[in-house]
Amino acid sequence: MPLPLSYTWRNLLARRLSSGLTFLVVAVVVFVLSVLLSFAAGMQASLKAANSPVNIVVLKAGASAESTSIIWDDEVTPLAQTPGVATNESGGQLLSRELSVQAPVPRRTDLSRKANVPVRGVDDIAFGVHPEVRITEGRSFVQGQMEAIVGRAARGRFANLEIGDQIALGRQVNRLFRIVGVFEANGSALESEIWAPRTVLTDSYRRTFASSVHLRLSAPSAMPAALDYVNGPSVQLRGKREGEYYEDLNKKTREIVYLASILIGIMSVGAAFAVANTMYAAVDARRREIAMLRTIGFARRSVISIFMIESVLLTAIACAAGLTCAAYLGGMKQDYLSDKTWTVFAFELKMTPQILAICFAVATTVGVIGAVAPAGRAARTRILDALRKA
Amino acid sequence: MSAVDIDLRLVRKVYHKGRMNITVLDGLDLSIEGGDFAVIMGPSGSGKSTLLHLVGGLDSPTSGSVRVGDAHLERMSERELTAWRSRHVGFIFQMYHLVPVLTAAQNVELPLLLFRMSSAERRKRVETALEIVGLKDRMDHRPNQLSGGQEQRVAIARAIVTDPDVIVADEPTGDLDAKTSTEILQLLSLLNSEFRKSIIMVTHDPRAAGFGKRLLHLDKGVLERDERHTHPVQPVAV
Ligand SMILES: Nc1ncnc2c1ncn2[C@@H]1O[C@H](COP(=O)(O)OP(=O)(O)OP(=O)(O)O)[C@@H](O)[C@H]1O
Ligand SMILES: [Mg+2]
Repeated sequence: MPLPLSYTWRNLLARRLSSGLTFLVVAVVVFVLSVLLSFAAGMQASLKAANSPVNIVVLKAGASAESTSIIWDDEVTPLAQTPGVATNESGGQLLSRELSVQAPVPRRTDLSRKANVPVRGVDDIAFGVHPEVRITEGRSFVQGQMEAIVGRAARGRFANLEIGDQIALGRQVNRLFRIVGVFEANGSALESEIWAPRTVLTDSYRRTFASSVHLRLSAPSAMPAALDYVNGPSVQLRGKREGEYYEDLNKKTREIVYLASILIGIMSVGAAFAVANTMYAAVDARRREIAMLRTIGFARRSVISIFMIESVLLTAIACAAGLTCAAYLGGMKQDYLSDKTWTVFAFELKMTPQILAICFAVATTVGVIGAVAPAGRAARTRILDALRKA
Repeated sequence: MSAVDIDLRLVRKVYHKGRMNITVLDGLDLSIEGGDFAVIMGPSGSGKSTLLHLVGGLDSPTSGSVRVGDAHLERMSERELTAWRSRHVGFIFQMYHLVPVLTAAQNVELPLLLFRMSSAERRKRVETALEIVGLKDRMDHRPNQLSGGQEQRVAIARAIVTDPDVIVADEPTGDLDAKTSTEILQLLSLLNSEFRKSIIMVTHDPRAAGFGKRLLHLDKGVLERDERHTHPVQPVAV
């Protein structure tokens, strides 16, 4: 029979400052860990890469994502000379200028919280360049009209994106676009987007540039020559195979996750030391109590488990607090990130059961490891020495 | 449980302090009958606590034998002694050693957590023990809400809640005023006469010694005198 939980709990409260600091440290570690993991999970979900062997994504040199790339009209002109670009039935070159912006849209799960959804302005030719994009409900927008279509994933996640709904896109409040259709794109990142006519959107956002140019080649074999040209001296832009573009974004995510993991590893070690410190203080303050428990028949391992339970209870509560904060601030975090490179996609901080499990495992491990040495000291308490008057 | 005999034969206890050997008990022989109330007196440092610790299984003799009932303590491992203590001995100390974050009832319940016992059964035993020491109405008080005398009563309840064979008390009234001491001693006396507990008590207070049935004087590890009280102070119901 273990000691009552109130014993553990009140002992933690009895050393409020020490327990509180350790609580804070562990909660911060769990917070950072869970945000990182949900960030990675969210990215993974939204980066189910479009990976066409004949598509090239062209960005401003130095930009790593469409949302941070600015391409002026005169920079686009030389791209028309790219060798191997395919044409459609009517002879149009499959070259698509696209504008990437964002619009705040309320979430389905919590209407009061808006997240930035990526919005892409495209000409009709874009449907030739991205043939995986198919209208599944309603119809496509008409150029020049204030109309928009929404990706399936975006509609699933955000509110007010049904056909017939109106959505404000752009700087002016009265710029309401009517949603006329829903599209799929083989489950790729594009499905997290809203699409609208480029010229109308450019006007709405008062932009005078595009974000990216997408080229579709006639055959994969044309890729090397086309890339040579795009990245050659006649074009001041930078082109990548579509798959490579997403891989690079993914790689950046992985790099961030990797670096952050090291940081979290170091933080966890620090947290374990904080736990150890707190538990040493607890053990030293309760030497007599330990001796009394041993006197009346509690075994060494019972003493060990007393401090283990105390430590793990502390870290588990801290873990719950860290996770709660992460869940709470999840939305804010994303909105903040939305202006940065990463938010080309409508990814969300995804709190999965695995992430919860990992966080609790890390917190528990920190609690156990931190308590090993102090609990060992407690178990070695010499009864008679400890019982003697001060 | 019926009262058990205690038998110490040729008990030596030597402490090693650095390269010095301190012989605290030197070939001590002592028999205490079941149901007795033995009081040990003697100057400070004479080995009284050491003797109690040996009888209570908190320490092992350097040589010689310590038998309590059927248990030969000198042959038992530390682990066995720990388990044995939980079942057979109740300890009462000068400092009450209550757990400050637990209520009186929870403190008394502590030793029962080592037994296979339903919580209803534990509750019943705790209430009985607290009733015997006269603190049933203070069950939910924490130690810092109790007086010293009340704390010692809770400690006594904790010592008797497992229904041990032997109660070992080391200066149980050392920190208490005369009136409270008398109450505690009357309580011990009651436990001895009504509940047939063997008690060994160390004290410096000659008045306290009067409550025992047998008085032992220990000096420099040797039993100097051994007197039997024909008329010990009679227990008064508290
Ligand atoms: N762990 C120990 N290591 C070394 N010496 C010890 C240890 N425990 C007790 N002693 C010594 O043994 C002797 C007897 O100690 P003990 O505590 O039994 O005396 P006591 O009769 O209870 O004294 P008091 O009346 O002051 O409580 C003392 O000289 C003490 O210093
Ligand atoms: Mg002593």
